[in-house]
Amino acid sequence: MNTIAREARSLPRPLPVGQAGRRTPGWWGMLCLIGTEAAIFAYLIFSYFYLQSQTSQPWPPTGLPPLRFSAPSTAILLISVVAVWWADSRVRLGRIAMTYAWLAVTALIGIAYVVLQCFDWHAEPFLANSGAHASLFYAITAFHVLHAATGVLMLAAVILWTALGHVTAERHNAVTIVALYWYFVVATWIAVFITLYLLPWITPH
Amino acid sequence: MAANPTYRTPVIATPDEALRHKLESIWSDPHNLHGWFGTTDHKKIGKRYLVTAFVFLVAGGVEALGMRLQLAQPNEHLLSPGLYNQFFSMHGMTMIFLYALPILSGFSNYLWPLILGTRDMAFPRLNAFTYWVFVLAGIFLYIGFWNAKGTDVGWFNYVPLANRTYDPDWNVDIYSLGMIFLGISTTAGAVNFIATMFRTRAPGMSISRVPIMIWGTLVANVGILFAVPAVSLDFMLLWLDRRFGTQFFNTSAGGRPLLWQHLFWIFGHPWVYAIVLPAMSIVSQGLPVYCRRPLVAHSAVVLATILTMVLGFGVWVHHMFATGLPVIAMGYFAAASFVIVIPSAVSVFAWVATIWTGRPVFTTAFKFFAAEIVLFVIGGVSGFMTASVPLDLQLTDTYFVVAHIHYVLIGINVFPVVGGIYHWFPKMTGRMMSERLGRWNFWLMFIGFNLGFFPMHISGLEGMPRRIYTYPADMGWGDLNLVTTIGSFVFAVGVLLFVINVVRSRFVGEKAPPNPWDAPTLEWATESPAPSYNFAVTPRVASLHPLWEERLGESGRSTLDEGPVLDHEHEMPGTTGLDAEPDVILKMPSLSLAPLAMALLIAGTFVGLLMAMWWVAAGCMLAMIPALLWWLWPRHETGWAVRA
Repeated sequence: MNTIAREARSLPRPLPVGQAGRRTPGWWGMLCLIGTEAAIFAYLIFSYFYLQSQTSQPWPPTGLPPLRFSAPSTAILLISVVAVWWADSRVRLGRIAMTYAWLAVTALIGIAYVVLQCFDWHAEPFLANSGAHASLFYAITAFHVLHAATGVLMLAAVILWTALGHVTAERHNAVTIVALYWYFVVATWIAVFITLYLLPWITPH
Repeated sequence: MAANPTYRTPVIATPDEALRHKLESIWSDPHNLHGWFGTTDHKKIGKRYLVTAFVFLVAGGVEALGMRLQLAQPNEHLLSPGLYNQFFSMHGMTMIFLYALPILSGFSNYLWPLILGTRDMAFPRLNAFTYWVFVLAGIFLYIGFWNAKGTDVGWFNYVPLANRTYDPDWNVDIYSLGMIFLGISTTAGAVNFIATMFRTRAPGMSISRVPIMIWGTLVANVGILFAVPAVSLDFMLLWLDRRFGTQFFNTSAGGRPLLWQHLFWIFGHPWVYAIVLPAMSIVSQGLPVYCRRPLVAHSAVVLATILTMVLGFGVWVHHMFATGLPVIAMGYFAAASFVIVIPSAVSVFAWVATIWTGRPVFTTAFKFFAAEIVLFVIGGVSGFMTASVPLDLQLTDTYFVVAHIHYVLIGINVFPVVGGIYHWFPKMTGRMMSERLGRWNFWLMFIGFNLGFFPMHISGLEGMPRRIYTYPADMGWGDLNLVTTIGSFVFAVGVLLFVINVVRSRFVGEKAPPNPWDAPTLEWATESPAPSYNFAVTPRVASLHPLWEERLGESGRSTLDEGPVLDHEHEMPGTTGLDAEPDVILKMPSLSLAPLAMALLIAGTFVGLLMAMWWVAAGCMLAMIPALLWWLWPRHETGWAVRA
């Protein structure tokens, strides 16, 4: 009986044509991309803790990491999550102007984060070849900045497409997919921030 | 201005000549350069993968034969020590990265949409992109070898030997960048398979009706998604150390050489499963056809496949038993390595039971599949032996390990692959392969392989280290090595016969009917060779064996010759992840040069990085932005902008 009920739901019946609905192939594709990129961050952080476990020197060797740029970064990135979530929920209601505005806010926060991180690099007392900790510090943060910058470019493309009228309430996937990516960027930053900036402050030396 | 999504109710019909003609004109590529370079047809891409990967197999095989000639007798001088190092490094790299996975991607690309009852992969352009990146990365990895500067520190490339201090030439740089380059292809392919699995199965193919071949490839590709980043990162860190003086692996600055090994094997062991699980699923799919019955314990085999992959992420340290790790760590990893035998054995017993309770037809494909079971057991037992720490300390870096890896990789990859070609060749080309030639092909490969590789167990137990370019006569390894060399040449003749059979059958083979083996799955429901649109009407699946329902007494009946017609441009049904109920008509992209352009830009980036021409690399990377915009631009034909 169950089978019969299921058969009844099948074709022929009116089906939307094109990139409609939530679980589009693009959504699955983004989910997979996030999985594999998250794995790279996991392996980077694994490398960090592994080298920390192998050293008899203080870790980080140059003392506690500065928080004056990374803490504000964390705060604004958390705000950007709300902004992009809001954009994604507005687009489903067809509020295109709101979608625009909140996507733009997200992109601007992304740019601000990249700038703040550049200041942070400038303030660090070491270079990428100073030692194993320094090498990993720059590898992890630079890799994250690269992801954030990619996210900003993706947001810019979606803002452009929204402006050209390609994003509508029924065809909102571009926004949903980019929002998903942006959640990932912020989530990995939290992991990076805790690992590189916070843990040295709360672990005994 | 984009309209709301258009809704459409597909017409239900029985395919006729007019419909086939219309679909052919929609789906077939033009016969010109644009059609050749821009095709997104999964069948063409699949065949290209198969041919290209086989060319790499032959290249790696020639390298192996060179080494076997050098080792046939003590104190030979055919290859210099330096050249010998390059031969074994290039051989390992070629076979493991450029042959073993890409050949399976070839099968999957060709077969997935046919087995799933649909018309293409979820991302046809990404599919073309993965092929171009694979070819270009393969060429990139070989550029050093042409002027005798191939990578020469082994395929697992241990530091500190791979550091600039000890290997200052650009061979290791090529290997490092080339592996990151190739990883893009592998990862993009994995994304494509996963999205295809969860979005494009034929209506009615719920999760319990998914054929075993799909499971093997799916599980491997989920593994790839999480394993490949480890090796890409590892090679990236090494390249930064070599090029910019970072300190990841430098002991004097707090780095650790063992970090290389950890990251490499965190990737390396799951990779073994990524290159055997799809091949095992070829056996699971093909063997029952020749036993005239369904696979025994289908669900158990699926679950065992998943379990193998999961456990495969927790055994990497068994490659590092001799590096002086804490005893507790070795104990854990030895135990985990023993445990993984259990899910592997589930497949073996299921195959044996399938043969035992079936009525086997001794075709060439059957012989290759059955031989795989034997070789898997031998390779499995030698793997089980080296999972034991004390024994591994004795056997590591000897020919015993060389024997083990070849029983695993040739036994569980090459044998199923060749059997799979015999099995699916009629579908791919519309012609049958010669069974007479197939008999010779099989026995030469089987006897040659065992003659060549079994004695390696003994030379390993007698203490012959791997990777030595020669050995003194008084070690007493000469006879064993001569047998190994003879066996490897017999094996090579078998492979040559296979190539001859493929080429010959391609042109003069007997014409194949749609389902020459009377097999149960959907790829056999369409003509041979499969038409460009795969299925004229959307099939509806009601069981695991759509073509065997009547004789198996299944309750459901799949409908294959009547169904919804999707003939407005490139279209196929999108279905839900678990139940496979249609919920959208997907608009598929067709001919596009964007994938090739992107692949070339990535190649340009890597060449720029290799030659330290930073402006080339930066320029190519900047050019990727417009290229991607072009690729992803919302178009009518991809369903982002719909005309009413």
